[in-house]
Amino acid sequence: MKINKKSVLQLGVCIIFFGGLGILINNLTINLIRTGLGFNFTWLFKPASFALAEHPLPYTSSDSYAWAIFIGWLNSLKVIVSSLILATFLGTLIGLARTGKNFLLGIISAGYITVVRQTPLLLQLMFWYFVGFLSLNDNMFIQIKNIFNISNEGIEFSGLTFSSEFLALFLGLSVFTSAYIAEVIRGGILSVSGGQWEAFRSLGLSEREGITRIIIPQALPAIIPGLTSQYLNLAKNSTLAIAVGYSDIYAINDTIINQTGRAIECFIILLISFLLLNLVITNTMEIMNKLTLKSKKYG
Amino acid sequence: MEPIVVAKNLTKSYTKGLRALDNVSLTVDQGKVLVVMGPSGSGKSTLIRTFNGLETFDKGELNILGIKVDSTHDERKVQRIRRKVGMVFQQFNLFPHLSILENITLAPIHVQKRRQTEAEEYGMYLLSQMGIDSHAKKYPNQLSGGEQQRVAIARALALRPELLLFDEPTSALDPERINEVLDAIRRLAEQGMTMVVVTHEIGFAKDVSDQVLFMDSGKVIETSPPNIFFSNARHERSRKFLNQLDNQ
Amino acid sequence: MVKLCSKIDMNYIIFLLRKLRKALFSNVFNTVITLLIILFISLACFQTFEWLIFKANWKVVSSNIPLYAFGSFPSNEQWRPATWIISILSLSMLTLCGPEWKWLRKNLLIAWVGTIPLGLYLLYGGFGLSPVMSRHWGGLTLTILLTACSSLLSLPFGIVLALFRQSSLPLVYRLSSIYIDIMRAVPLISVLFFGQLLIPLFLPAGIEIDRVWRAILAFTLFVSAYIAEDIRGGLQSIPKTQIEAANSLGLNQYQIIRFILIPQALRIALPALTNQSIGLFQNTSLMAILGLVELLGVGRSILANPEFIGQYIEVYVWLACVYWMVCTIMAVLARHIEKRMTINQSNF
Repeated sequence: MKINKKSVLQLGVCIIFFGGLGILINNLTINLIRTGLGFNFTWLFKPASFALAEHPLPYTSSDSYAWAIFIGWLNSLKVIVSSLILATFLGTLIGLARTGKNFLLGIISAGYITVVRQTPLLLQLMFWYFVGFLSLNDNMFIQIKNIFNISNEGIEFSGLTFSSEFLALFLGLSVFTSAYIAEVIRGGILSVSGGQWEAFRSLGLSEREGITRIIIPQALPAIIPGLTSQYLNLAKNSTLAIAVGYSDIYAINDTIINQTGRAIECFIILLISFLLLNLVITNTMEIMNKLTLKSKKYG
Repeated sequence: MEPIVVAKNLTKSYTKGLRALDNVSLTVDQGKVLVVMGPSGSGKSTLIRTFNGLETFDKGELNILGIKVDSTHDERKVQRIRRKVGMVFQQFNLFPHLSILENITLAPIHVQKRRQTEAEEYGMYLLSQMGIDSHAKKYPNQLSGGEQQRVAIARALALRPELLLFDEPTSALDPERINEVLDAIRRLAEQGMTMVVVTHEIGFAKDVSDQVLFMDSGKVIETSPPNIFFSNARHERSRKFLNQLDNQ
Repeated sequence: MVKLCSKIDMNYIIFLLRKLRKALFSNVFNTVITLLIILFISLACFQTFEWLIFKANWKVVSSNIPLYAFGSFPSNEQWRPATWIISILSLSMLTLCGPEWKWLRKNLLIAWVGTIPLGLYLLYGGFGLSPVMSRHWGGLTLTILLTACSSLLSLPFGIVLALFRQSSLPLVYRLSSIYIDIMRAVPLISVLFFGQLLIPLFLPAGIEIDRVWRAILAFTLFVSAYIAEDIRGGLQSIPKTQIEAANSLGLNQYQIIRFILIPQALRIALPALTNQSIGLFQNTSLMAILGLVELLGVGRSILANPEFIGQYIEVYVWLACVYWMVCTIMAVLARHIEKRMTINQSNF
């Protein structure tokens, strides 16, 4: 009797879901036929015929759409990985300052956290781009014997150049994410009981030694899941690149849609890109987690 | 011979009016055991925590093993004191991510810079003294409360301290586990270790202590030898407290 | 009497100062850091105040206040969105520091939900008010409307998704898991962009949804996946004994969900849910690059005006202040409600 009820319920949900899906797909095909687009991926191998300001590998506008998308991937990875490193570094510093004994440092880091967390990321990115970089005059801000230049074109450092688009996105994402990471770090440290602090102090260990040997190893299991979700958010937020004109995977798909109208296909490409990216980040963090838990045979 | 602990007029106030310590003065001589008793919230824990700098105080003077500290709480002096004073907590406070032996050798290796083999040898000796050397490779949460507390005593002894502080070492234990810890402390007393013990265990206090200090709301009410304190306490408040303990 | 008080107070102040001294100057390292910070703060404060008072040109803000608030809403009808915003503000004040009358507290939730139809009526018009097209909506009004409608719509959808994901029926469980996982994997901007682009494609010819509602729909689809996970967290933390107790009282499956599980899960998930709402408020700014003129969009269009060109800092600082203020108000309200909830189950 009970099994019967369950299967009836499931069947009902099925009919509603697939019925709805059917109607939507039906509408979609009618609309696609009406606009004369259809659904296929052969266009991927036609020349893209748009230029990209930034490309880590050689690219010209006669290269294929597929190659352009791959370049977008690389650009995304570049900004995600670099922001991830800076954000973790900044976030750890601020999180420690927030929990530390220096009263002023605590207040400043608390202020930093509320200001950064309570204003939209998009606004912050525009601020970094339009105020931080574009308002600089040509080569006038800092110039040290042609080794280190900051201008509205970006930063040039002994041959390496970083565009202002990349830098605005990199700094904006790092600062934004660091405020969230700081809270994760603080939460992790607070999750270690006060008795542990007293115990290492009573043994004569210095604060720095106690924090690195006693507190951090116990805080890590609480920190790593929070860190993972912040890294995932950072990867997703990197798509706001389009607001400052940096050609990441999303911006390139946007251009392609404007050019070809292939919205459905591009959405699928984006979806797969992000599922893959999420998989990479979660698995890397899972390995990190295992490494830290290795020493934690208690539990 | 110079006393191990000399406290003069220690005073500590938490907020307006409320005093955790109120003009506390005391002396502990070499090889003596001072038992501190009193109702909860009377400042006993705060008092012995000042002895190794886990708590600060606002007024007064403290001389631990010849090192003088005052209300400025000079961190270098506190650090020197901590190397000579061991402490055992109510909640054990073992490091859960380190094995039993690692818990014990951590401070000798990183604070006293001893060689690892030497530290481990001495650690194993201490564990065998506590009767738990078979657990050396285990982790704290695999042990019973009584065993964990004996590890904590061994950890405090590993720095070869000249003074041991006990903050209610048996309050978090199951009743049947209390004696194994008390016996370990008794043996230390017999070996001539100087100790300050906060406890509610009357029987233990009677046979281990040289002096009993009774505190209430931050003040020292009386300091007497155990035979006087437990049979014929001088103060009305001490007698009341002992009665309550007996009735429990 | 006065003298006595002041003496105690003086002692207290000395006590605090000592504590402060210890916190700031306890050793050389701390002292150096403290002095450096004080130097840095005073420099930064000086620079900021100098800029705020002497250098900044606030005309770009002061002459455009109606634009920031209402967008291009017809100027003789701007009292309508103004009324709505004022009613929301007064309701917030009432919730925070209003009297403790029981009937008032009981009806506050209804009043809060009621602000949404009220807002839609005031903005759209009809029934005695002249109709206004949604493309004239804008500014803070539109930002608040997007936040309010999407929050309200995504809550029931999120609850259903969470229940489905906890379901023992494999198919229901699978479908909701796939939906939640996909939505949580993709960036918001892509959902919003494809919402604008694809929703018309999925509808039969002749039916159209305007840009605002497409945005609300996309936000709802996105946020409900996150809300579902928050509520699932709440559901999982309810002890099994609660269900056993309910079963022993003879409640059926539906009653258990309705009276035992959902109220407790919502209460546990409340802090996470209010955070989602605050995040949603910030994220409505994404619509500025997708063709709606909400608060950030107004800023962008003002900056494109030749009269104000290049005054980025003034506009962005002003917008940051507005966003920060509203977020702070929302956070204070959220904390107030959480506190209330721990004392009293259902009233604000």
